Amino acid sequence: MAGHDDPVMSRAMRAARSLAVVVAWAALSAMPAHAQSPALNADDAASAKAQQLQQETQPLNNQPVWSEVRSGRPQVTQVRGRETNVLIQQGGQTWRALRNGQVAVYGGWAIVVILVAIAAFYLWKGPLRLHSPMTGRKIRRFLPFQQLIHWTTATAFVVLAITGIILGFGKSMLLPILGHTLFSWLAQIAKPLHNFMGPVFAVCTVIIFFTFVRRNWWRAYDMVWIRKFGGMLSGHDVPSGKFNAGEKLWFWGGVLFLGVVVSASGFVLDFANFDQTRQTMQWANIIHLAAACLFMMAGLGHIYMGTIGMIGAYQAMKTGYVDETWAREHHLYWYEDVKAGRVDVEAVPSSKEPAVKPRPA
Amino acid sequence: MARMKFLCDAERCIECNGCVTACKQEHEIPWGVNRRRVVTMNDGVPGERSISVACMHCSDAPCMAVCPVDCFYKTDQGVVLHDKDMCIGCGYCFYACPFGAPQFPQLGAFGVRGKMDKCTFCAGGPEPDGSAAEFEKYGRNRLSEGKLPVCAEMCSTKALLAGDGDVLADIYRDRVLRRGKGAEVWGWATAYKAPAGGNGAPRPAGATPAPSAGPAAPQGGKS
Repeated sequence: MAGHDDPVMSRAMRAARSLAVVVAWAALSAMPAHAQSPALNADDAASAKAQQLQQETQPLNNQPVWSEVRSGRPQVTQVRGRETNVLIQQGGQTWRALRNGQVAVYGGWAIVVILVAIAAFYLWKGPLRLHSPMTGRKIRRFLPFQQLIHWTTATAFVVLAITGIILGFGKSMLLPILGHTLFSWLAQIAKPLHNFMGPVFAVCTVIIFFTFVRRNWWRAYDMVWIRKFGGMLSGHDVPSGKFNAGEKLWFWGGVLFLGVVVSASGFVLDFANFDQTRQTMQWANIIHLAAACLFMMAGLGHIYMGTIGMIGAYQAMKTGYVDETWAREHHLYWYEDVKAGRVDVEAVPSSKEPAVKPRPA
Repeated sequence: MARMKFLCDAERCIECNGCVTACKQEHEIPWGVNRRRVVTMNDGVPGERSISVACMHCSDAPCMAVCPVDCFYKTDQGVVLHDKDMCIGCGYCFYACPFGAPQFPQLGAFGVRGKMDKCTFCAGGPEPDGSAAEFEKYGRNRLSEGKLPVCAEMCSTKALLAGDGDVLADIYRDRVLRRGKGAEVWGWATAYKAPAGGNGAPRPAGATPAPSAGPAAPQGGKS
């Protein structure tokens, strides 16, 4: 660039350039101070203004800068990436304290307590048995599609629960036994299994909700069932519809509420490619863990009642048929409806016997 | 035994990103991963400050505490390292880290992230020092060669210091005494609070000419 003493440059050109500089200077001076940085938004303008004033009155005081740092607000950086413009995030410490603290301790021990309680109940009362002998006449309780969606959801649930426990509690439970290398292998299988099975479970949750919602509406007699705890302590059968109040609680509180909560929070964690912030994922993780612990606790109850807790219950979902005695003793109102022909097609007594005849218990 | 720390002098950092570049170059870090970054506060207004940040190798490291497979370990110099062979890419360290240090080569659907990558304080990983396997996974192991981290070595204004925490504190104290300002040591209270060595943030009492008249002290050291 030509210097100002360049003999070629005319006096007029020099004058024009000086004028341009003056005009530019005047224009810049007239602009508000905070407008000098195009990177600042309206929120940051106030703090920038404060910082500017600070520089005039207390040139050695960096307090506004450190307030900015502590705020966790996005700043300016040249490095691209997820939240690279946040210098320090305080939420991680809260998440760590909750996850490693309350959630892991209370959640983990609550599951153990439920397991012990169920085992104690089984040893104390044993399974719920039928009071009358089986008739040998079968009633169709579940259609093949209902069995299919139930067992698909159940498989997904169990896989998610086991892999979730490995990832959540394996560090304190399995790692000391298996050692770092072997446990890491296990976790490297568990993580993708959990992440790919999660969406399967979410889809199942939607389907299973619509499959069973009709028979799960709350009825007046369900409160009676609740008050008598389903006769599980007294041994007297409490009448119920196709599903008793316990099953309905599991349906609304477990399948629907907890299912939606774990699925939604799981999606936030599973699909991290939508630029959600760390804070979002921290809270999603806490909600996911807490809901999953409750889900597993309730699931243990459901699995117990569906297998060893009640004679005949497992055969119902396995074969789709139940004995008339079982239906009468455990689901009297449903049985009466079936007998009176008042029920929908799903429960009409089938003319053909199940392929696999359930063995009398 | 030295306790390795990073210290970034906000009065000196000029946001040249030389440390970022030096780190990428030294360790041949792939695209999309930056072990170090420079963040500028109040960009473009008088009194703007920049800070270079990477893994601070915390005393009570949150990443170590939340890792579900316990792949982190701490060297006898206080450097927090991890074993990429064990890492399952769950991202928990990324949630927990206050400094945003853990990086992932991918961020795909279904939580596919690849193995976590972060600053190693130029100290490599669990593989033998200076081995090809170590270089490929963790970058160069300069500490084993008797060298300090390349980011600090390359820093043109010596804003970024790396090395024994006691030495850094002495250097910084001397700077503060000479210039009479900028006593805030960013990140030390978060990273090194109540460490085993009892080496807190150097806050030389009376070194600053008490610039803030109010009762509120500068908060930098606490951030």
